Amino acid sequence: MAVRRITVAAEVGLHARPAALFVRAAGKAPGEVTVAKGVGEPVNAKSILAVLSLDVRNGDEITVRVEGDQAGQVLDELVRLAETRESAGG
Amino acid sequence: MTESARVVRAPVAGRAVGLAAVPDQVFAQAMVGPGTAIDPARGPGEAVAPVDGRLVKLHPHAFVVVDPAGRGVLVHLGVDTVELRGEGFELLAAEGDEVTAGRPLVRWDPAAVESGGRSPICPVVALDAEPDRLAHLVESGQVVTGDELFTWM
Repeated sequence: MAVRRITVAAEVGLHARPAALFVRAAGKAPGEVTVAKGVGEPVNAKSILAVLSLDVRNGDEITVRVEGDQAGQVLDELVRLAETRESAGG
Repeated sequence: MTESARVVRAPVAGRAVGLAAVPDQVFAQAMVGPGTAIDPARGPGEAVAPVDGRLVKLHPHAFVVVDPAGRGVLVHLGVDTVELRGEGFELLAAEGDEVTAGRPLVRWDPAAVESGGRSPICPVVALDAEPDRLAHLVESGQVVTGDELFTWM
């Protein structure tokens, strides 16, 4: 398992475009992947509906948790996406 | 068609163009999900709920309605319209509302979006759906608000 807490730098937060990229990256993990906003309940990071409903905005703190094989690798990719400022659109 | 199949209806009037015509690769390549898109009629108009359900997200430029079976439909009003920060969009409902298909949710003007240099094309996307779960996709021709866009099985 790999877990990290980060601050979202994507200009528009995890909305349509960045959210789709985030969910696609999470989908590469064979195990469970969750994302939680602040102290909120974790949701399935492989679900675009769940991630859009979480309504993560620029500057929000999120906790990303990846289970199973290649957890570290997948987590690195998710963190990179969330910390990329240039995810315009959404 | 199974009993649980859901007809997703046009949230705006205009011309169906298909997702591939959306000038945003993430939508065009169906990475957000499968569905279609409408090039809306220019001029002031209202975007309406595409299905019966709960309005789980309402932004000025986009909304998600989740039907009783848990299927979420995203309607995005134009491309890169998040950058407008709500300007030119008027909310006609509140997040959390139970809505019926056809209920007006946002008042906007596609012509104003276009004159600001952005595409007003509206993707209508089945979230978390496998592409083979959509049938009777309308990807061309004129549509009026409430017309069938696709069936989600």
